[in-house]
Amino acid sequence: MPNSITVMLHAAPWLLRGAVVTLETSLLAIALGLPVGIGLAIAMRSRLRVVRAFVRVYISFARGTPLIIQIMLVFFVLPSLGLDLPRFAAGVLALSLNSGAYIAEMIRGGLTAIPKGQIEAARALSMRPALMWRHIILPQVLALILPPLTVEFTALLKGSALLAVIGIVELTRTGQQMVATTYKPLEIWLTVGIFYFVMCYALAALTRYLERTTQVYRTV
Amino acid sequence: MDFDFSVVAFGLPILLRGLVNTVLFCVVALPAGLALGSAVALLRLSRRRIARLPAAAFVEIIRDTPFLVQAFLLFYGLPPFGIRLSAATAGILVLSVHSGAYFAEAIRGAILSVPKGQLEAARALGMPYLRGMRRIVFPQMLGYLLPALTNQIIGAIKDSAVLSVITAPELSMAAQMVLGESFSPVETYAMVSVLYWALIGAVSAGLMRLEKRLFRAAVVIPRTDTTRLPLSAIETTAS
Repeated sequence: MPNSITVMLHAAPWLLRGAVVTLETSLLAIALGLPVGIGLAIAMRSRLRVVRAFVRVYISFARGTPLIIQIMLVFFVLPSLGLDLPRFAAGVLALSLNSGAYIAEMIRGGLTAIPKGQIEAARALSMRPALMWRHIILPQVLALILPPLTVEFTALLKGSALLAVIGIVELTRTGQQMVATTYKPLEIWLTVGIFYFVMCYALAALTRYLERTTQVYRTV
Repeated sequence: MDFDFSVVAFGLPILLRGLVNTVLFCVVALPAGLALGSAVALLRLSRRRIARLPAAAFVEIIRDTPFLVQAFLLFYGLPPFGIRLSAATAGILVLSVHSGAYFAEAIRGAILSVPKGQLEAARALGMPYLRGMRRIVFPQMLGYLLPALTNQIIGAIKDSAVLSVITAPELSMAAQMVLGESFSPVETYAMVSVLYWALIGAVSAGLMRLEKRLFRAAVVIPRTDTTRLPLSAIETTAS
């Protein structure tokens, strides 16, 4: 038993480094996923049927296939199409493309909370759509979806563990490497689990806090 | 880039067998997860702390760690202690436990959506707790439960793809086999995506139909059956 604790303590600094990469990857993925989501949400309301159909298929695919398959698709298939991305970029891209679909749905939900009169008023003032989205719709919707966005970030944090499969050295991959050197799978995976737990639990607390404080800005 | 149809001819039978295995995994793991989830949900709503705390801790621990790490812990962490599970058994086990925690939250939310007075009235009339849950609370919470459950079921099917990492023989494992033989990632992953997409589309369409049917069923319940409420009561809990 004391031996186990030594193994865990020995592994902790290495795993901490992996956890930092996990955090960075997830932050990058949500930062890129947000514009993707906003773009999809705007395209969803396009006047062109083709655009709307594309968005529908995209979201259905992103939500209807496993993330691990999407990561493989981006990592293995893009090079065949002539787009050679480094591992890390491919991993982050796969996560953001996936996350964008969920964020788009979130924004769509948030849009229903904005009174129609505001859009009508913007139109009556002959505001261009771009201006209306930037100044009227998005500021309100983004405040509204802040709590669910942190939930999405938590999902990304856990989902980024799958990037170990394509060889990105984040927390889970570091865990695999530690298991290979120490031959102590139980201790290492428990420690890895603790690292994820601490991050996700802290984020859940942040979500609850945001849910309480942003209540003020809610129109419904 | 050309799409090589000979890879389809070679790989599709292997992938279809993988798809059947994925379905089998879920058919075993999801009911187990549902049973576990129901038990955990009831424990979390218990009056006694000693029942509530472990259930809450279980849900938090499962929800705040990645599925992949849970699979690794179970599959690689136990053999040094003499517990050796096959990849398929470990996969089904971890999928059941993981989905159980998410089901528990869906079920707990659904139970809480039914006004407390309903169960209290049943208890006051001398109905045992579990019978009151089954006859009074359960029918009323269905409208709330089914959409949440549909989401979690689809999530669990998608999670099952991760089990290929611990070499459980399901669809994405089959994909790796096809890829290893054919070296054609485009064709292989195109087929795999479409198969998962079709499976998940079919499951979600089926569950949505079930939802509609159950609601229609609620309309034709005879008025004399006082153990169930009219549709209007169910609709308010669903919104």
